[in-house]
Amino acid sequence: MNQNIDLLTLRSVSKSYGTVPVLHDIDLSIRDGEFLTVLGPSGSGKTTVLRLIGGLEPLTAGEIRLDGQDISRMPINKRPFNTVFQDYALFPHMTVSGNVGYGLSVRHIKRKEIASRVSQALELVQLGRFAERFPAQLSGGQRQRVALARALICQPRLILLDEPLAALDLELRRQMQEFLKSIQREIKTTFLFVTHDQEEAIGMADRICVMQAGHIRQLGTPHELYYKPNCEFVARFFGENNLVAGKLGPVQGEQRPIETALGRLVCSICDQPHLKTAPDGVSAFAAFRPEALHLADAKDGANRFSGTITDLAFAGSSTVATIMAGANDAAQRLRLRMPSRIDGSALKSGEMVSLCFAPHEGHLVLA
Amino acid sequence: MSAPRPSTIFLAAITALVAVLLYSPLFVPIVSSFFTISHGNVDWSSPTLSTYVALAGNHEILAALRTTLIVGLCTVVLSVVSGTLLALYYHGRRFGRSYLQFIIFLPFLMPPIISGLALLIFFREIGLERSLLTVVIGHTVFVLAIVYRTVLMRLQSMSRTLVEASYDLGATGWQTFWRIILPNLSSAMVGGAILAFALSFDETMITILVTGTQSTLPVRLWAMMRLGFSPDINALVALILMFTVLLCVLAARFLIPRQMATERT
Repeated sequence: MNQNIDLLTLRSVSKSYGTVPVLHDIDLSIRDGEFLTVLGPSGSGKTTVLRLIGGLEPLTAGEIRLDGQDISRMPINKRPFNTVFQDYALFPHMTVSGNVGYGLSVRHIKRKEIASRVSQALELVQLGRFAERFPAQLSGGQRQRVALARALICQPRLILLDEPLAALDLELRRQMQEFLKSIQREIKTTFLFVTHDQEEAIGMADRICVMQAGHIRQLGTPHELYYKPNCEFVARFFGENNLVAGKLGPVQGEQRPIETALGRLVCSICDQPHLKTAPDGVSAFAAFRPEALHLADAKDGANRFSGTITDLAFAGSSTVATIMAGANDAAQRLRLRMPSRIDGSALKSGEMVSLCFAPHEGHLVLA
Repeated sequence: MSAPRPSTIFLAAITALVAVLLYSPLFVPIVSSFFTISHGNVDWSSPTLSTYVALAGNHEILAALRTTLIVGLCTVVLSVVSGTLLALYYHGRRFGRSYLQFIIFLPFLMPPIISGLALLIFFREIGLERSLLTVVIGHTVFVLAIVYRTVLMRLQSMSRTLVEASYDLGATGWQTFWRIILPNLSSAMVGGAILAFALSFDETMITILVTGTQSTLPVRLWAMMRLGFSPDINALVALILMFTVLLCVLAARFLIPRQMATERT
C-alpha cells in the first residue's frame, strides 16, 4: 500500500453513446490506497467514468491500465474491482448472507470458507444479526452496508461507489460518510466514490476530481480545490465563492493585481505558474471566500472597497451578510461570513460598510 | 363525508347492471347442478348430488378429463420453455424482435377457427396424422403469447443493475442466468404456466379441428350438447367453471407484483 504508486491509469479515454460524446479525452490516475472522489453535476460524465473502469461499458477510445497492464478489453467479471450500485442492486431472492457470499460462491470457494468470510464481512459493516434477513426487510442504511460488504468480500483492488448515499436522508448520510471513511481506513483498499454533493466530497476524499460536461476540470486535495480553484466552474461549484470579474495587471512577486469594478484587488498567485505567465490585460476573476471578507478598520490598506448590506442571514454559528458593492451600474453581489454573537450582529441591513480581504486570501481564476 | 355526487351514483348503477347482466348467467348452471332436473326443468325443491355421482361413473367423461390433463401438462411444459426463451431473446437481442413479437401474438389474436384451420391444413400438408400431438402443438401455438408476455413483463421490470452486479461480482453469463435471472422470473413462469393450463383446459375450437380420435373435456361437452341438454352437462360446466376460476386465482397470486418476503417482516 503506497499512496504514491498509481493503481489505475486512464489515458485519453473517450466515450460516446452513438454520436453523443459524454467523455472527452480523460486522463486520470488513481493512487493505491486513496479515497478518490469524482465530483460533478448530473450529466458531467462522472458515472460513465466509473462504469468504464468497472467494465460495465466499453471504451470508445483510449486505454485503462491496472498496474501498467492494459485492461481496456478485460471482461467485467475478470476485473479485480467491485461496485456498490446507486440502487444497491441487492439480489431480492437471496438473504443478506447469500448476497454477501455471492462473489465467493461463483468462484467455487468452499462453503465453510464462504461462511466464515461472510460473517467477518458482516461484522465489519455491523450487520452480524441480520445475516438471514432478506433485502426487503432492511432499512436503506442497512441495505447500503450489505452492498458494501458484498463488494469488499472479494478483496478487490478498487471499490467503485456510484452515489451510494444519494437515497439516504441527511442524518443517515452523515453517519454513512464517517462509516465509509473508517471502513476504508480499516481495509486499506482504494475507493473511487462518485457524487454530485460537494460537501460529501470535501468531507471524505483524499483527492477530488471535478468533472463538467465530460471533461476533468481539476484534480486535487479538497483544500486545494477549495482555496485554489483553477477555473470559474470549480470556483463557482465549490461553495459560495465571491467572484469579481476584471483584467489582470502586471505580476508583483507572488502576487498579482486585477482591475475590477471594485477597484484594484491584489491576490496571491503562490504555486500557480499559469497565473504568473498569463499576459497582462487577460480577463480573469478575483475569487475570495465569504469568510475571508471582513469589515475594514483603519490599518487595512489593500483590497478595500465599500458596499451596502442588503440582507443578514443567521445560520447558527455564523451569520452571512449579502452585500452590494461598487458603483450602481456595476454593483457586485458579495457574501460575507462572520461568527455569530450572542448579542446580535453589529451590522444592520441597509448599512454602508467598508470591506476588505487580505491579498493572501484572495485568489485569481482565469475566465 | 359528503353525499355521493350524481355521477358517482350513475357509474355505480351502470357497473352493477353490467355485472348482473353479464355474470349472473355463469352462476345458473353451478346452482342448478345441485338440483334434480325433470323434463328439462330444474326442480328447485329437491337438492341432489346425483348428477355428480353419475358424472364420476361416466367413463367417456373420465377419459376426456385424462386427455385434457395430458394435453394441458404437455402444453404448459412446451409453452413455458419456449415462451421464456423467446422473452429472453426479445429482451436481450435486437435482430427481428418486432417481427417475432408480432408472430407470437398472431395466433392468440386471430379467431380460433382461423388458427385451427391453418394448423389443420399445415398438418395435412406435412403429413402429420391428427392425434394428441397435433392438439398439443395447436394449444402451444395458441397459449405461447400469454406465457411470453408474462415472462417478458417480469424481465422488463427487473432492475438491469441486478445482472450488472452479478457480473461485477465475478459471475459468468451462465451463473448469472441460473442464479439471478431465472429465480427472479420463476414466479412469473409459474403464473404463466397456470394461465396456459387454464387456456388449454378450456380450448375447444382449435382442438375440434386438429384432434384425432380422442376428445378433450370441452370437446366432449360439445358433443354431448348435440345430443340434447342433460343434467350431466350442468354438472360438467359447473366443474370446469370452478376449476378455471381456481386456476385464475392461483395465477393472480403468482403474478401480482410483490416485494420478495416482505410479509415475513
